[in-house]
This record gives sequence, structure tokens and C-alpha cells, in this order.
Amino acid sequence: MKLPPVGYEAPETVSEAVELLAEHQDEASVLAGGQSLIPLLALRLAHPAVLIDINGVDELSGVSAADGWVAIGAMTREYVAEESGTVASAVPLLAAALPLIGHEAIRSRGTIGGSLAHADPAAELPAVARALDAEFVVRGQSGERVVPAAEWFEGYLTTSRQPDELLTGVRFPAAGPGTGVSFQEVARRHGDFAMVGLATSVTLSGGVISDARLAFAGVSDVPARASGAEELLAGQRPSAELFDEAARRAAAGIDPPADLHGSAEYRKKVAAALVRRGLRAAVGNAQEGQ
Amino acid sequence: MTEVDITLTVNGATRTGSPEARKTLADFLRDDLGLTGTHLGCEHGVCGACTVIVDGRAVRSCLMLAVQAAGSEVTTIEGLAMKGASEGGTGRRAGGGEMGVLQQAMWDSHSFQCGFCTPGMIMQAVAFLSDHPDADERQIREALSGNICRCTGYQSIIDGVLLAAERGRERAAREQR
Amino acid sequence: MTAIAAERYTGASIKRSEDPRILTGAGRYVDDIKLPGMLHAAFVRSPLAHGRVLSVDVSAARELPGVVAAYTGADLEAMTVPGPDALMALMGWQGPTPQFTLLATDKVRLAGDPVAVVIAESRYLAEDGCELVAVEYDELPPVTNASFALDPGSPPVFANLGDNVAKPHSRSEFGEVPATFAGADRVYDFRIGVHRHQNVPMEGRACIASYDAGSGVMTVHAATQSVHVTKIAVAMRLGMEQDKVRVLAGDIGGSFGLKIGASREELAVAAASRDLGRPVKWVEDRGENLTTSGQAREESFEVRAAVSNDGDLLGLDVKMVIDTGAYPGMGAMVPSIVEAMFPGPYRLAALGFESTAAITNKATYVAYRGPWASETFVRERVLDLIAKDLGLDPLEIRLRNVAPRTDPPAVMVTGRPLAGVTTRESLERIAQLVDFPAFRRRQAEARAAGRYLGIGLATFIEAAPGPREPGGPSGPMGMESMRLRLEEDGIVALFTGQMPHGQSHQTTLAQIAADEFGVPFEQVRVVVGDTSVVPFGLTGGSRSATMTGGVALHGARQLKARVLDFASHLMEASAQDLEITDGQVLVRGDPASAIAVGEVARRAASGQFGAGVDAHLEVEATFDGGEGGWSGGSHCAIVDVDVETGLVTVERYVVAEDCGALINPAVVEGQIRGGVAQGIGAVLLERSAYDEDGNCQSATFMDYLVPTACDVPRIEIEHLETVPLDADVNFRGVGEGGMIVAPPTIVNAIEDALSPFGVRIHEQHLPPARILELIAGQPAIA
Repeated sequence: MKLPPVGYEAPETVSEAVELLAEHQDEASVLAGGQSLIPLLALRLAHPAVLIDINGVDELSGVSAADGWVAIGAMTREYVAEESGTVASAVPLLAAALPLIGHEAIRSRGTIGGSLAHADPAAELPAVARALDAEFVVRGQSGERVVPAAEWFEGYLTTSRQPDELLTGVRFPAAGPGTGVSFQEVARRHGDFAMVGLATSVTLSGGVISDARLAFAGVSDVPARASGAEELLAGQRPSAELFDEAARRAAAGIDPPADLHGSAEYRKKVAAALVRRGLRAAVGNAQEGQ
Repeated sequence: MTEVDITLTVNGATRTGSPEARKTLADFLRDDLGLTGTHLGCEHGVCGACTVIVDGRAVRSCLMLAVQAAGSEVTTIEGLAMKGASEGGTGRRAGGGEMGVLQQAMWDSHSFQCGFCTPGMIMQAVAFLSDHPDADERQIREALSGNICRCTGYQSIIDGVLLAAERGRERAAREQR
Repeated sequence: MTAIAAERYTGASIKRSEDPRILTGAGRYVDDIKLPGMLHAAFVRSPLAHGRVLSVDVSAARELPGVVAAYTGADLEAMTVPGPDALMALMGWQGPTPQFTLLATDKVRLAGDPVAVVIAESRYLAEDGCELVAVEYDELPPVTNASFALDPGSPPVFANLGDNVAKPHSRSEFGEVPATFAGADRVYDFRIGVHRHQNVPMEGRACIASYDAGSGVMTVHAATQSVHVTKIAVAMRLGMEQDKVRVLAGDIGGSFGLKIGASREELAVAAASRDLGRPVKWVEDRGENLTTSGQAREESFEVRAAVSNDGDLLGLDVKMVIDTGAYPGMGAMVPSIVEAMFPGPYRLAALGFESTAAITNKATYVAYRGPWASETFVRERVLDLIAKDLGLDPLEIRLRNVAPRTDPPAVMVTGRPLAGVTTRESLERIAQLVDFPAFRRRQAEARAAGRYLGIGLATFIEAAPGPREPGGPSGPMGMESMRLRLEEDGIVALFTGQMPHGQSHQTTLAQIAADEFGVPFEQVRVVVGDTSVVPFGLTGGSRSATMTGGVALHGARQLKARVLDFASHLMEASAQDLEITDGQVLVRGDPASAIAVGEVARRAASGQFGAGVDAHLEVEATFDGGEGGWSGGSHCAIVDVDVETGLVTVERYVVAEDCGALINPAVVEGQIRGGVAQGIGAVLLERSAYDEDGNCQSATFMDYLVPTACDVPRIEIEHLETVPLDADVNFRGVGEGGMIVAPPTIVNAIEDALSPFGVRIHEQHLPPARILELIAGQPAIA
């Protein structure tokens, strides 16, 4: 299971990386953490002409908070984000999801940007980004643009990144007061990809749900917001009956795939269960914080 | 062929090579440097048999290119065998080196059978214990859940790690006095 | 514990002599070996499950720099001797014999079937070369399940057979089958299936074939359970004299039945090496291992049970169909073992058994740890299903049906005496270790709170080696041999055909020999893995504890007698007055007389003694299994089933086992735990899956899931007081038991957990989605 022949470039700045992408376009693959890309190459499912290794682009790493946003450089290692106090306090949903990503050795190398650029719909970070309406910063030949999460994920392993663009960072809105979060996941084993995952963020104000975000992993070819459930929840007092109805709506709103690990019917049932569990946990979390 | 000259530190020694860009760190360690203790169990990053320590973190060497380790400090299972008694080894000779605390505890605990998962399991456990010396069984199981063993059912491995942690704490307590 | 010759090492968890190298990365597995001039092989493999091969063009591969050769199936036919599969020939297979070429020439018969081999300077380059080989196929309808295979309308996978029957239908009856069923209060009908899953050792198949043109000797570095069987396979296929093939094996990363003989790929690599006059290495990658190395256990059963109203299991009538995959392996031979073992430790009076084996376009059925294990799964499942229907407790129905331990022993209706079987004791011990009434109370409380706990019980026996058969040696594969020699440096060397791949033989056999001979443990060396040096042998079938432990014991005794006989001349004392203690020969009661055994050996080698003195301090010992015996035990699991997600947690797992006298308790426990882990894996995680076109869907570790440290609980093990049958050798095999009985234990527990939903389970693989289907009342898809 050896990698196919491939060219290799190791730019040291974002500009150099963008130049290389402009030159090679679809023939290039960006190598960040490598935890998703290298297995694809080893299985010879991908044959890029050149790898653009951005591990040497130091300006792409870092976590910083400003103006109600937490900006995370694309090359920030998952374990660094996991250990970040800023992420823990300001983006608790991200902090909740990170330990569920694979195993520690994967998070030693895997990056926030890499995972979000790879866009596996069963992965944790895309669901978090979608739930929080994160913003994706890309730089191309024509300059920088910001893509909201709703427009970033286009299809299975497909994002709106253009071939000459590099994802340089992602920014997450800082959680407001009264916010509680939960990341629920049903996987075959500890550390496996979710069969169904759910990122939940709920904000309580005066005992009432002022904002609810639910985004699924593993139920579609992209992370999927349960907008029908979110609409139901807004303005309501939390209750078991409310959560049950939200779960029903959320499950009715998805058309999950079937694969070796679960049928479509199975994923729907689990999605409903996760909504109940996720809402109970997130609301509980929010109530504790108050 | 895209070959890249690299220099890195492996088990405390400076090593150089000119691997093809596509060559994994695992293959570079095994074939170019002759360090065959690191094993290939799946080559797609799931089984953990290839785990080594790079710049202080346990990583899957089959999911890194050799060229990405340029300038890094890499420790493989062979590097652990160098730790002497003063660092918690027993001074007992084993295959040319001395055993560290974890290896000795695993010997005492009958941790392994066929030995193929062993180096990766040990490197992951070493990395974990150095950050979490007081870990309990549940935490150790989670930390090692990315390393597959087909022979043991894991209990003897966990016992070895728990024993090493206990001995590490005892030694630390003695040194404090 | 039974009395053993000496107590010092045997019976103690002596630390392994394998470990210093294993723990420090100094183990030497096939892929660690580098030979001068060595090349690497990679195989071009069929993307189709079934097809005609129209053309194979390796010319572009040959042109690639770094590629040294590329061989098609046709090239290899010209380089090798056609013949039956070596393992089948060795086991005396008489049934249908498919004709096929080493690599595919006219047809491909499974997805992944090797069609060509590329030999290059590195595995990287060999794989690059494979991508340049152009093969044209004409797709044929795939035969992806046994029922289609047995339909005369299915396309024959092997032209010479004309159909897809690997073993024709046969039926046997034991006891009075029709009368038993006619007279029974109740007759039940069940359909029970076991799914396809596989060995998955952490190291796959691997070999280096190294042909030396000058001497005409082929040396093979192999990962194998028997160096001699591999040698025979290589010599046969290459048309070489047996003494021109030498097989070496060092450390092996597990096998569980997979690595026996030589696979088609390994034989192709040997042929390539001979053609090129250079060593060629092939190490299968995980994808190859999961898709083509071999799979196991895909069997279906129709079971009719004759039962009394009180729960006596009077008779069983079983129809078995086994899916043996494409190329011949062990599959066609499994039904006869299943038949023989079906009564288990119970006093079953009648058994009807019929079976058919089908050929399909899937990986070959290979031996996997307890190949006959389905008999225990089916029988232990059936007992629980009957118990539920009759309102009996699972423990109760088993105790009711266990054959009593009598003298002479009860005999299974299929003929084997149940000498020394402690099934009743193991069941009773489980009842002491696990407080069933307390569990039932906790279960009721949990149910009230919406949590579903379950408890499951199962029992088994294993012929390890099995009871003494009149007139013949015990154990599968016959007598065990060992050569023992006292070396001039005082080492007692044991040369054995055993080929440990995790079984710790280098430790356990040394324990026995050290005790029996009288030297410290460190003074015994167990030599394995070289056909030039070790006698014929094979590690498998849980035979080594008895057969090799026994030959080590008796051989050490014989060697000691010879040494003392020689020493009597040296020391001018009668041999009866001499003993060997701590590596010294001395006159009993006179420590000053002591001479180190090494010194004795040096004196023997000096030639100073004349023809009247036997100074040859070496013996060739054989052992026929002595009085033999059964291994067995009862297992109990408590599970927690999340009925919203289908995830199952094994909360507690308890074993009461009897494997006779223990050589090394830590080694025994490791074998049991590893087997139980594989059983947990089979039920909750592992399935070798194919789609309807015959594509393997479990080709990576992301889809073929093996248990991790979070999936296997602490396994509590009690060793029972065994029934000694033999004066000296009461060690019995334990390698396979855990894997045989864990699946029904877990499935029984899950069914118990789900009984409020009226769930009845007739299958072994219960992933989360299946659990929810069972709760919703959905039947299995055939």
C-alpha cells in the first residue's frame, strides 16, 4: 500500500503556496496534517501530480480572539486547539468535539484547516463549523475572500475552494452568555468516524431558548443543519416533550445514506436519539452556566 | 523521482537521507535507517503499529512523509531501549540496550504475545504516561484504543501500563525524600 | 493442580524469554529481513469477482525503470509444476478437486484474484509497475452466496467441476434419529447462520524466497505455522527435491490459522526468485490481507431439535451449508469436524447431520481459530432458545443435559468418550462467581429505568488433544516429535517443529524441560523455525500444550537418563544414585561430587570413552498424547444494550476453565483473553462483507473493525481443578477455546437483554443497526 509517484513542493509563505496552486490547479493536493490525504494516496485512490506541503508555512498556525470571533490558522494542529484555553472558553462546542476526533496520535498531526478543507461529512469539525456558522478565509490569486460555512460545504469531500485557493484560516463566533453545548456521536468504536454525530449549541435567555443550532455529521454528503428543529425550538421553554418533537422533525428532515455500518433507517433513529440527548445536555450545560 | 535531502535526529543521533517525497516516515525508518522495530500493520493510519514519537508527540509514522520529519527529533522503540537505570531503566540488558520502566513493567505483566503491535503500543503508552502519569484504567484504555492488538485482549497490556505508572510514582516519591 | 514431575517452573507464570527482544524492537519478522540483491513483489489483482481473462499485457510494466521482471499467470505455469493444493493433499482430501493455475490465466474467481506479479527494486516501484499492467476481462455473473452456488443454474466457478459443489451432500445418522424425533414431546425448527469473518493477524502473509543458483537451494523466510509444511508446498509446486528447499522462520506476527503451507502468491514469488536467481520479498498489505488472504465461518444451519417437556435435549437433526469461497482451503473439511463435535458435553442420544460445501466467488475459507466453532454457537444458541420456550433457566437446562462424569466415561453419540470432562463443575463455578439472582434484581430495576442489561452463558469442550483413541495417537495431525540434546556449554537444546507465533513456546517448553531435566530455566534453549534442524511439526489445533509439552517432558526424562547413564561411568557411581539439580550432576547426598552438566557433555564429546559407553547425549523423542483429554469451560457475560443506538457494552466477562494442568498461568490466561476478544469482535464488530457483485466491502481497517482496548472488558478467569488422566502429561490445549465459546456467550446475553422486546436471535453478527432491527421485529436478510 505504497504511495504513487508524486511531485513535492514545500512553500514557506502563503503567497508561495498560492502561486503553486495557481500553477498546478487541480493537479495539486495540499498536504497539511496528512491524516486524511496520506491514506488516500496509500490506497492509490488519489494520484495528484504534486503535493504542496504547507507544514512549513508558519504564518498559518495560531489561535487568537478578537471582536467576538476566535480565529484559528489552518495549520493549527488539532491537539493545539484542544489544549487552547481560548478555544475552551470562547468556542466550547469546538472544544467538546475535538477529543472525539480519532485518537491522540491523529490529533498530533491533523489540522483544523485540513479537516475542514477535506470536508468529510462524517467528521466532527464540519458539523461544528456548520452549527456555528463559522467563516472560512481563503486566499487566491485574486486576493482573500470569506466564505460562510453554509456555502463552504458543497458536496461529498467537496468545498467551494477554487483550485488556486488556499484555506488560510477559519473563524468561529465566540459563544455568548447563556450558551450551552454538546457534541454527541454514535460510532462503532471509540475514535471511529461517527455513524451519526450531532453538534448542538443552545442559548438560554430568561429560561427560554433564544438560539438553537443543530448540525449533523454522517447523515448527508455535507454537514446538515436541522433547521426545522431549530425553528421549533426558538423561543420555547426547554422540556422533554419539546426535545422529542425537535427530534422527530430533525429525523424527518434528513435522508441519510446506507452503508456497511448502518442503514438509512438506522441513521434516522439514531439522529432522533442524538437530538434528544444533545438538547438535554446542551440545555443542562447552559443552565449550569447561569 | 522527487528526492529530498533531509537531516533529522533519530534516537539522539543525527541521521541523513534522500528519500523520495512519497516515502513515508515509517518506510524511511525501516528501510533507509534499518530501524525495523517500527512495524507496518495497515499503512492507512488505523492500527497504530507504526507509532513513533516526533518532537514529543506520538504520531503514526505511516501517515507522515519522511521529508516532513526533516529537522525533527524522532524516537523509535529502539531509542527507548537506551534509557539507563538513572532514567528508570533497570540496567538489565536486553537486545543491546537496557529496558525502560514501561518495558520492564510489561515484561513483568506478560503484556504481549506475538509482539507485532508491541513497539507502536509502547511508544503510544510512553507518550501518554509522560503527560498523564496518574492516569486511571479507563483513561489508559482510551489512550491506547487507537493501537490494535489481536493476541492479548488488552488486559495484560493495560496491567503493564498501570504497573509502570505505579512504579513511576513510587520512584518519584523516593526521589523527593 | 495435578501432580507434575517437578514444581519449580511448571505451573508458575515465568517471565517470557521472548520478551527482551519483543519489547525493545529487536524482534525479527519477515519484513525486517534484508538480503543482498533482494527484490520486491507486488501483484496485479482482478477488480472483478468472476470473469474470463482475455489478455494480460505486462510490457509497459517491464519497461518501467526499477522493474526487473513481470510474470503473467501463463509465464508462471511454465515455471512451476501443476498439482493439487499442497495442504489439501497433505490432509488426504478425496473429494472434488478444482483445477486452476497458480495465478489466474483463463479465469478470475474472486475480486483480488492475482493475475500477474511485478518484481522491482522496491515495493513502491513494484506497485507502480502493477498500475501499468493492462488486463482485459470478460465479466461473468458472480456467484456470491451459497444458495446460488448450489443452484445447478449458477455458472461453474471451476470448469472442470461443472458445478459449484466443493463437497457433495452427505448425511450420517448417529443413534436412533427417526425414533427419537417420533417419540419427543416437542420438535423445534431453527435456522441459524454464522457470518463471514476472518483471522486478521497484525502481520499479514509474508515471505522472502531466495534461490541460490550455484547450490540449487531455495531458502524461504516465511511467516508460517509450520516450516515443514511450507517446505513441502514449495518443493511440490516448484518441482524441487525436498532437500533442496529450506524454510526458515523467526518472529511471526500472529496467524490464528491463516499462515499454513504456502499461498499462491508465495509460490509465485518462489518461482520468480528461481527464475531471477535473486531473493524476492512479498509482504501482503492490509488490503490484500482483508480481501484475499482468506476468510472463515460463513455457515448456515437448519436445526431440528427433539426435546422433552422437561427440557431434555434428546436429539438434533442438522443440515449445514458452508460457503468455502473460490479456491480450495479448509472449508470442505470443516463439516466433518462440526458433525463429530456437535453433541458437545451433553447426553444427546441421536444426531442426524448432513452437509454441503459450496464454491463462491469470495475469498478462500481458511482455518480460523477453532474452525469448527459453529457447532458450539449453534448448540448453545439452540439450548437458550429452547429454554426460553419452556420457561427454563439457561443454567438449569445445561445442567440438566450435561453428560454425567462416569467411569467408564460417557461417550458422545458420534463416538468420542467424554473422559475427564468437567462441564458440570465449570457451570457450577460460574454460578458461584456470578450472583445470578442479584443480577436479575438489578436487571429488573434497570429495565424500569429504560436500561437493558442481559446475562448470557455458554459452555464448550475442545479436543485438545482429545480423548485417547484406541490404537492411535491423540490429537489432530498425529504424533509429536522432538530432538533434545545436552550441549557442551551446558544448554539443554530442544529442537521442535512447533512454530510459535505468540504462543510463548520458547518459555513454556523450557519450563517443562528445566523441571524434568534439572537445569535452571535459563539453561534450556528452544530451537524452532529451520527445516534443516527441527523435526516435522505444526502449531495449530491447540495441540502443543499436550503434544509438545508431553514430548518435552518425556524427552527430557529420556535425555536425563542417558546423561546419568554416561555420568555413571564418569563419576564411578551407579546411575540410580545420581541426580541432576540446578544444572549439576551429583551423587545423591554428596554435594562435593557435583559436576556441571556442561562439563559432563564436554567429557562425553571428548571421545575418551570406548565403544561400550554411550556418550551421545541426544535423544529423539516422540509422544502420542498419552491419555489425552478434553479442554473446556463455561463463560458468562453481562452486557448493557443501548436500545436507542444499538451499541452494546460488555460490562463483565467471567470464565471458569479447565485446560488440565497449567504450564504457565499467564500464558494460558493470555490465550483465553485473546480468544474472547476475537469472539466479542465477531459478534459486535467484524464482518467480511461483499456486495451483490462480489466486491469486498471490508477492504480496510475502516470497514473491517477489530476490537480495541475500549471494547474488551477485564476478563475474570478461574482455573478449575482438573481431572488427571495421565500419570505425567495433563496439560491440555487452550489456544482456541476463548474464540469458540465467546460468540454464543455474548449473543445469549444480548438476547437476554432484549427479551422484553420478544427478540429471538438466530445469527452471530449483531452490529448496532441489526440490534435496532431486532427490536423492531425485522427478520434477517438471507
